[in-house]
Amino acid sequence: MSFFERVKQDFYTFTWVLIAVAIVLNIVVGQLVSLLKLPVFLDSIGTVLVGVLAGPWAGGLAGLLTNLIWGMFTSPVAAAFAPVAMVIGIAAGYTARYNLFRHWWLAIIAGIIITVFNAVVAVPIRLYMFGGITGSGADFVTAYMLALGKDLFGSVVVTVFTSNIVDKVVTAVLVCGIIKALPARLQARFTPCPVAG
Amino acid sequence: MQPARLTLYVEGTSWLHSRHPFSKLAYILLTGVVVYCAPGGWIPDAAILTLNIILAAHCRVLLPLWKLSWRTLLPLSIFMLPIHGLLFPHNHTPVCTVFTVTLYAEGLHFAATILLQLAAILTASLLFVYTTHPAGYITALTQAGWPPFVSYLLGSPLLMLPAMRARTATIQAAQRARGLDSEAGITSRIRALAPLVTPLVLGAFAEVEQRAIALELRGFSSTTLRTSLREVQDSSQERLARRLMLVTSTGLILYALTKHYLEDFI
Repeated sequence: MSFFERVKQDFYTFTWVLIAVAIVLNIVVGQLVSLLKLPVFLDSIGTVLVGVLAGPWAGGLAGLLTNLIWGMFTSPVAAAFAPVAMVIGIAAGYTARYNLFRHWWLAIIAGIIITVFNAVVAVPIRLYMFGGITGSGADFVTAYMLALGKDLFGSVVVTVFTSNIVDKVVTAVLVCGIIKALPARLQARFTPCPVAG
Repeated sequence: MQPARLTLYVEGTSWLHSRHPFSKLAYILLTGVVVYCAPGGWIPDAAILTLNIILAAHCRVLLPLWKLSWRTLLPLSIFMLPIHGLLFPHNHTPVCTVFTVTLYAEGLHFAATILLQLAAILTASLLFVYTTHPAGYITALTQAGWPPFVSYLLGSPLLMLPAMRARTATIQAAQRARGLDSEAGITSRIRALAPLVTPLVLGAFAEVEQRAIALELRGFSSTTLRTSLREVQDSSQERLARRLMLVTSTGLILYALTKHYLEDFI
């Protein structure tokens, strides 16, 4: 099967609606969990869900569009990080193909893998477009690493990794739980069902 | 739907409001390419920023543009100027010293350049967002022959958002009523995460199938061209302008790449 045929296989009307719903989930879930005052935003939970359920390309599209739409009505900075959101969806899709969303402890590994891919794309954008600083609390980590004598690249890598690892691992574990809680009828809609037993 | 509250769009009939959405997108692309690839250091960036401000004033979106730009750029500058001024790795020319803390010229210059680049790109994208109604670019996409799912994916989240926000508030209230304690210790707050998020996701997913069937019934995957109630204006001059912007962008990218490789070579 060619690459394009495989990509095309990920999509049908049901997938489009799933992606649209996931985009909205990404946007509203932050508001919901802000109540608990935990250091997690879960703003890629919809993206990861689509990646796991409907394949890497659908996940990538969900991530990309979330940030573009976000950029259009609240924070324009989010649009600059759209490629990062896309990679999160793709990474989630591929980790699911290797059955990493089957158990919660495997989902932790998936979360770490997603963080790594997230960093690979986020670091260049943060470094070249924003000079390493994006005006958030994570900048303190960058400043601290610079003060320790690290170069800008190293400091940004450490910042991106530390500020994302908890969020992505929690997201992956939650997604794993949600997939198990999905009604069987819905689960059956997704052909390469990633949940065993 | 209340587009005025959901998006940043400002009602108006100005020159920019009646330009084709694709022209404005091409302008954002050109801005990005000029900022990162054009020769001349900060001068082209400052020129574009000035042009954007003049355009915004002309099209009566200067006030919202001014406010949002500050809201985005001020926190960035507050972090960026001191961090790079004090700690930028290539710092060696001191500007001023207060007690034992020294600000350096290289870091300040680096931070100021980045802020200027961001300001140019930010204002260009805000000009698009302020003067383009979502329905405008969605219609433009359909007219240009893009498949219906593209318009659906860009448009429907905006329509679903208010309902989903309302549901979020209901879930919060319901879980609070059942004894969710947002002031409790960290372990119980982590445990509270799943009961908060799961109902939202499952509730939203339950609707997916109904929505998909509704779309199918209305011929969503049909490939015949449909008439739209909304018409987006386009003219041959504008098409030419768009092509020129694309050609300039490509040229500048090629120029930057050649320069980069020649520098490596020499």
